Amino acid sequence: MKYEMLELNDFQISALREIVNIGVGNAVTSLSKMIGKEIRIEVPRLNVELIEKVPDISGGADAIVSGVIMHVTGDVEGYIIMMLSEETTINICKTINGSKNTDIMDPLNQSLIEELGNILAGSYVSSLSDFLMLNVKTSPPMQTFDMLGAIIDHILIEMSQKAESALLFDTSFMIEGTRMDGMFLTLLDPSSMEVILERIDQMV
Amino acid sequence: MIIVGMADCAVAKNPAKITTLGLGSCVGIALYDKSTCVGGIVHIMLPSTEQSRSKDNVAKFADTGIPFLLERMIEEGAYRHRTIAKIAGGASMFSFNGSNKLNIGERNIDATKKMLTELKIPIIAEDTGKNYGRTIVLDTESGEFTVKSALKGINIY
Repeated sequence: MKYEMLELNDFQISALREIVNIGVGNAVTSLSKMIGKEIRIEVPRLNVELIEKVPDISGGADAIVSGVIMHVTGDVEGYIIMMLSEETTINICKTINGSKNTDIMDPLNQSLIEELGNILAGSYVSSLSDFLMLNVKTSPPMQTFDMLGAIIDHILIEMSQKAESALLFDTSFMIEGTRMDGMFLTLLDPSSMEVILERIDQMV
Repeated sequence: MIIVGMADCAVAKNPAKITTLGLGSCVGIALYDKSTCVGGIVHIMLPSTEQSRSKDNVAKFADTGIPFLLERMIEEGAYRHRTIAKIAGGASMFSFNGSNKLNIGERNIDATKKMLTELKIPIIAEDTGKNYGRTIVLDTESGEFTVKSALKGINIY
């Protein structure tokens, strides 16, 4: 019994995918307005994965990324993680502050990325909660630049105490011209998934 | 290079290198017996099986993963009394970690040390705590234990 947690039917999968797509779409629109460039997003992928496998499927545990983490609480509980490659982070910093200051560890750039995550995740969560009529709050963002595995492992540790597998949506986005890699990861508690699926079923 | 995933473990004989990537609050424990050049790494996530609903994967916990790794090394020819340990990880990546998540990294290190003491395996190198991620590599030829980080450089033990 590898995936004892969830069995999703086709309708639920496409509904979830659509909801996430709307959420990410809204989030990216905010970013697009902020930097004045067009951004394309890919259709979200939906995975039920063993918790231990999450780092591998989200780009490799040793990939060095700029990560922003937000804790979601309320009707549903989980985490939203935005990860940007080093190059993307630098490009976004350049685009926004227009300066030549591209040091990722610079406090100014760090808070810029943190704020960016805040805007993205904020619009993502509010569109999800509006759509599903959920009452949720997000914690202030926490930003760091490190190995992907190290950034998310404490979240996975926390989840592994409650479940074996996690549902995750990931989306990549690209900013016009340059191929920029960003990833949006949503990890939800198993019980929160039930809440969301109930809401979806009520919509039919 | 043998890659050990999260909550995973591997044993190898010279010549081989074993690695585990991106340790944050998790702890990577490398055991090594110089006389036979048998080495192994386990990447644990939690201090003990009591903390989890599912206990299927022994490599997930310090209290079961370390003895399991030692057993497997002995099967490969390592001598128990010659085995030494080098550990890394157990960072707290963010300072927020409220409530029961409080310092899972530290708890993992404590549980690791307790288990190694119980098994009478000396810890001869340790690169733990702080707030950054680590990737570790164990060379079974020399027992060399390399700890890499994103911004803090490389340390060899």
